[in-house]
Amino acid sequence: MLLVEDSALVTDALRILLEASNRRVSVAASIADALTVGGTDPAALVLVDLTLPDGDGLALIEPLRAAGCRTFVALTGHDDASTAARCRAAGCADVLVKPVPARELIGKVAQWVDGVNDVA
Amino acid sequence: MSRLEHAAERMSSLEASDGRVVAVEAQLKQALIEIAELRARDGLKTQFLANISHDLRTPLTAVITHAEILRDGILGDLTPRQMESVRGIISGGRQLLNQVGEILTYARGAANQLTLVPTGFSVRDVLEQVSTLNEPLLKKKKLSLDVEIDPGLPPIIADREKITHVIANLIGNAIDFTPAHGRVWLRTARVTDKGVTLLLVEVGDTGVGIAPEHHDLIFREFAQVDSTASRPHHGTGLGLTIARRLVELHGGKIWVESELGTGSRFFFTIPVEPPA
Repeated sequence: MLLVEDSALVTDALRILLEASNRRVSVAASIADALTVGGTDPAALVLVDLTLPDGDGLALIEPLRAAGCRTFVALTGHDDASTAARCRAAGCADVLVKPVPARELIGKVAQWVDGVNDVA
Repeated sequence: MSRLEHAAERMSSLEASDGRVVAVEAQLKQALIEIAELRARDGLKTQFLANISHDLRTPLTAVITHAEILRDGILGDLTPRQMESVRGIISGGRQLLNQVGEILTYARGAANQLTLVPTGFSVRDVLEQVSTLNEPLLKKKKLSLDVEIDPGLPPIIADREKITHVIANLIGNAIDFTPAHGRVWLRTARVTDKGVTLLLVEVGDTGVGIAPEHHDLIFREFAQVDSTASRPHHGTGLGLTIARRLVELHGGKIWVESELGTGSRFFFTIPVEPPA
């Protein structure tokens, strides 16, 4: 899976969490990075932060989907209905508000990647 | 006095009043410049608050996530005392996150960036949701909560998230300012004002109460009745300012009825559907 987030503090925490649940995690800190990483190694799941240093994370969905990435989930700090609606309209399967509770994230990742319905 | 002298006198009086008009115009111009400067500074302050609260969320997100990884045993089991300590990190982190969120909401409101997303929903659901969320805190403070919902209340059309925020804020204050073994209540009713049907929500408590001279103050930004560092109740001082803004955004009103030592009753009304 690909994690697109510009804060190393957040990616470190999420990587520890996801790797501990046996996920292979690539990290990109910008749109440009994500296009390179996701383009060469398409991910089953892309967790994408909305505010990236070189633009809106939602702009990644179309090119990365064309490159073979499957499911997109937005990570956002804004817990509001209009942000959620914008993400879904752009093609996100879900919208998670940071900080996402650890167990909830593991359960949801299993659901999206493996199709397993075991949200803890 | 000859006609000539009269005309000269009149001319001199007109010149004097011209001078006064020029002076007033100069003062007005100066005042407008000062207002523009103050507005610009206020805008900068609001932008600063929005930026800083956004930036504070990122490290907080990391702290909370790391602590939850430990709490949930994802990296191995903790001893009971380690668990207690990690739970403390999470609860402090979540509390700080809420306060940061409050500052961000305030900053957006001050910059007129809050917009309503109206949907149809049941007020009963919102009240039950807020009551359930507050159950642990009520239990901890040994407070009772009575919820009285008008059975004939139809679904309303409003911004559910913002109305939930207002009710949660009022309930949070009621719990915070009511000593142990007190009572908190939530009531709703349908009322009509000038032909418009309104939802009336009351959040009451048997707590410390608010002196009438402070009733306006508490809705003002950053205002707290006790603003000393040693005050027993901490917070951003923005909760009620935000609540008022969110209610007014719906075209409603919010107010309090209270006296020191007699508990408080907060009320707000909003139209049951947005004006056509």
